[in-house]
Amino acid sequence: MTRIGMIGTGAIARVHLDGWRSLPVEIVGHYDIDRDAARRASDAYGGAVYDDLDALLADVDLVDICTPTAAHKECVLAAAAAGTPMICEKPLARHLDDAQAMVAACEEARVPLYVAHVVRFFPEYARAKAAIDDGEIGRPAMIRTVRAGSFPGAGREFNSAFYADFEKSGGVILDVGIHDIDYARWCCGEVERVFARGLSFADIPERDHALISLRFTDGGIGHIDCSWANPPGLWRTRLEIAGDRGLIEWDGADPAPVTVFLRDEDDPTYHEERYSPLATEDNPYRAELAHFLHCLETGATPRVTPHDALMAVKVSLAAMESVRTGQPIEIATFQEASA
Amino acid sequence: MTQETIRIGMMSFAHMHAASYAAHLRQMDGVELVGVWDADATRGQAMADRFGTAFFADNETLLAEGLDGVVICSENVHHREHVEWAAGRTRAILCEKPIATTREDAQAMIDVCAATETRLQIAFPVRFSPSVQRLKAIIEAGKLGRLFSAKCTNHGSMPGGWFIDRELSGGGAVIDHTVHVIDLLRWMLGAEVTEVYAEVGDSLLHPGLGIDDAGLLSFRMDNGLYGTLDTSWSRPASYPTWGDVKLEILGEEGIAMVDAFAQHLRVSSDAAGKTRWLYWGGDMDRGLVQDFVAMIREDRAPSITGEDGLAALAVALAAYRSAVQGEVVGVEME
Repeated sequence: MTRIGMIGTGAIARVHLDGWRSLPVEIVGHYDIDRDAARRASDAYGGAVYDDLDALLADVDLVDICTPTAAHKECVLAAAAAGTPMICEKPLARHLDDAQAMVAACEEARVPLYVAHVVRFFPEYARAKAAIDDGEIGRPAMIRTVRAGSFPGAGREFNSAFYADFEKSGGVILDVGIHDIDYARWCCGEVERVFARGLSFADIPERDHALISLRFTDGGIGHIDCSWANPPGLWRTRLEIAGDRGLIEWDGADPAPVTVFLRDEDDPTYHEERYSPLATEDNPYRAELAHFLHCLETGATPRVTPHDALMAVKVSLAAMESVRTGQPIEIATFQEASA
Repeated sequence: MTQETIRIGMMSFAHMHAASYAAHLRQMDGVELVGVWDADATRGQAMADRFGTAFFADNETLLAEGLDGVVICSENVHHREHVEWAAGRTRAILCEKPIATTREDAQAMIDVCAATETRLQIAFPVRFSPSVQRLKAIIEAGKLGRLFSAKCTNHGSMPGGWFIDRELSGGGAVIDHTVHVIDLLRWMLGAEVTEVYAEVGDSLLHPGLGIDDAGLLSFRMDNGLYGTLDTSWSRPASYPTWGDVKLEILGEEGIAMVDAFAQHLRVSSDAAGKTRWLYWGGDMDRGLVQDFVAMIREDRAPSITGEDGLAALAVALAAYRSAVQGEVVGVEME
């Protein structure tokens, strides 16, 4: 059984732990700068509480880094130094030079780095990519995506403060848009330039939004709508890919396979329940972890390479730079302005 | 009270919207379809037969009929010449979009109509979509609060014919599909587009086409709103419908989305070989033509002016300029 170490105990760590539960692994322990949080994770999911990161790294076959974005770098560098293969949540880093240093450190140490761009494992997105690869739509030339929610963690003090501090979170482009930037690269190839407008520098409390135009090196065009400006609770996703011989469309608002209408107890009205259930192995987080586990065991190239993760950060930061400057940004020559 | 009979002539069926306008005109009380002129005599004769009216081989003969209104649906590049023929010979002109292919032509059309006291209306029928009108009312009621952005699409199928002949159309997907949505935004928001960045794809979705078939505009308006507009002919022949008009307005208090053609049946027909969406919502062309006839009858100013047509065209031209220069460009209105 592969021995897993968890770093960080927040919301995404719990999602990963739920995924690990159905895989042939042993959760060895949890490390968190908040020891009480590590204790709670240990109580809920098993495994020991580690006070020392290096001790955890020494005890495991694979470490799963689920810290906030700005705290990825120290964990990745520590794992590389310890020779411990790792999964790192997206975005790989808050800054481009950090991401470059992290990828370089893992390459030099010859330690696998698996970055959790989970959208590539969502069944609808994976099916769309497979349809492209099967030639269903010819050459993919235009991709349009939507990933739109309300401001994260509203009402939860820690989360809200983290996401609202764009210096730490990168705002909606680096935290949300990066999912679709990565997916668009997967489908349409390398990005040549980016142009974006949005609210990231508009100084509007608890709102962020961007409309991003991508131009791919082979001429294709992309449009990414990423939002933290929806009314509370509203979540929308959409995907459209046009090729020279066809079109793929999917919308999160498409009819769910299970819909239930129920009488309300006292009011002369009803409420509605909608479900789109998946088999355990198709749960995207579980599928992602299973894939990385497979890559660790076989040495196979992961669906998301360190270069992919680095480029996703680079294009995202370039999009933010475009919002800030109002100008298109060439990816090849883009350098992040020093913070 | 008997109402005045409004006598209309059709000039050119090059743009397929002419058939829709003619069908509606024919069904309206108090409207007489006097005749059809078309540079393509075969097409003109066929359309005259179809709509039960006369074919005029010579445009002068048709214009000598004492027309109250002329509907011009020629190829984009011919709009100016045909408006110049009709101006001063009729009380009003309904000209298909885009108004022209250059700002100079558009301004000349506006000027000749002003000089001859001819009412010039541009055919932006989507203003007459009840769904779009509802969105306008929602915005005007302030429900969305402070407005941030507009994300829009006017996708289409590749139309072929003269639409892909630059000499006749002035451009492909960008000039074809920028103007409708820009007109809607200007009308709903009372604001002008000031700057545009555009990614334009030539033969991107149709290899060998030889003209732009993909366009993605990113724009800013003088009320601070930013937005994008996808003008691409990205609907393949196998798609259930010709395309779409969708607008999504984001404000501080919420988000409003309109799909102007969402009112459709899904019809699977073995004869058609595919599933198609058949639209059952209110016919916006009918609203456009009714408004045109009412303008003549009431002797009032057009609801959609030549200046509106020029403002929308200027954004499309700015998009092409941006794509060539690879930078953000201002919209040149003068």
